[in-house]
Formats: sequence, structure tokens, C-alpha cells
Amino acid sequence: MSEPLVLELQVKPLDFLAAGETATHFKETLKSLGLPPDICRKAAIVVYEAEMNIVIHGGGGVMCLQVEEDKVTIIAKDKGPGIEDLELAMKEGYSSAPDFIRELGFGAGMGLPNIKKNSDELYIDTAPGKGTKLRAVIYLDKRR
Amino acid sequence: MRIKEICEKLGLKVYVEGNGDQEVYQGVAGDLLSFIMRTAPEGAVWVTIQNHVNVAAVAVLKDIPFIILASEREPLQELIENCAKENIALASSNLGAFNLCGKLYELGVKD
Repeated sequence: MSEPLVLELQVKPLDFLAAGETATHFKETLKSLGLPPDICRKAAIVVYEAEMNIVIHGGGGVMCLQVEEDKVTIIAKDKGPGIEDLELAMKEGYSSAPDFIRELGFGAGMGLPNIKKNSDELYIDTAPGKGTKLRAVIYLDKRR
Repeated sequence: MRIKEICEKLGLKVYVEGNGDQEVYQGVAGDLLSFIMRTAPEGAVWVTIQNHVNVAAVAVLKDIPFIILASEREPLQELIENCAKENIALASSNLGAFNLCGKLYELGVKD
């Protein structure tokens, strides 16, 4: 694999019924490329949580999956309100999701912590009013 | 124990048979989707009262082959359809989650 494989999908805002589709699609792609199951599972969690963030908070956006020989990179971009206090948002249990979303089982305050736990590198570029860009990297060989 | 045996022994109402011959050794209970994303063991049965299509998505992503809705929840049509599409067994029980998990534990399904 010399050229990275790149997949890009649009995520609609507040479309809870479709939510999870991007993650399912990306996971199938990774599986079909023959990547190890633990990598597929980690990537699936990262994509799912990032996708849900775009659906709930980001007002829609784009998810991108990049597969290279040594790593999987997941990029999630939205033009939403941005994250005011990133340190607080990274804290387990903190959520700014509205009640009607929590009743559906979302907004547990575990999205970003789950992403961090399942990725080897995580970069979040955000500012109030400027949207959020998240980039998570999972290395195929963790010893790198 | 096999999925279809669990359905029989607990008198579950089955909506999607899924892979009924698959053995299930572990279980997880919860209604917060990110909590399940974090903690569910692969191949586990998932007991929940969440009843919408995203439950199927979480199951697919976590390789969960069997979902039981507790407390007499009738699954929504979209959830049934998505479980059928993904070959995930879907059943419901009259028991609440607490008692249902107790029964599963008696059958040898643990966390």
C-alpha cells in the first residue's frame, strides 16, 4: 500500500437514526483491508464517538478515514460552535448534551475520553465559534 | 450457552434470531451508549432499555451478537430491521434489567 487509502463521508446534524452509519462503514472498510481486529475495534470506537459529537454538537460535518501502511488516521471536522473549555470536555462525565439526547443514552460525557483511550495520538483544534477539527492516529504497531 | 438456548430458557420474545448457535459467555448491562462502547466485552449479550436504531450500531461496532431489551420494551421497527440486516439477535423480556441479569448469571453468563 504505497498511496494511503482515503475515505470521506458527510455527517448530517441531529440525524440520530443515521448516526453510527459512518462508523459501521469505516469499520467494514478496515476489516476488508485485513487489519487486525483490535485495530478495527479501536478505530470503530474513535469514529463512532467523533461521529456522535458531530451529530449532537457540531451541526454536521465530515469524517475522513486514512489508512497507511503503519497507521490509521481518523479526522472529524465540523463548523459547529467549537469547544469552549477543552480540558473540561476531556473530563470523564462532563457533557454539554441537551436532556432529550441524554434520554436516548447519548451524552454520557465519555465521548472524548473514549477517543483518547483508543487512539495513540490525539489532536484537537477548536475555538468558540470556529468549529472543531479532531485528528486521531492509531498505529498498527504500538511499539513505534 | 447458545443464544437460542438462552432465549428458550428465559422465555424471551424473539424478534431477530441472528446467529442462534453462537455461544455467549459474557454479558454487559447499561443504557449509556458510550459506556457500552467502552466496557462491553466482544461477543457479549447486552441488556438494555434503550430502544432505538443506534443500539444496533453500537452492537455492530462492539461485535455484540445478542441484544435483550428489558422491562417489556417492544423494539422499534427500525431497530428490528437493522439487527436483521447485521445478523444480531434481538429479543425482549418482561423482566426488569436487574432480574434479567440475575437469570443470565444463573445460566453461567457473567461479565
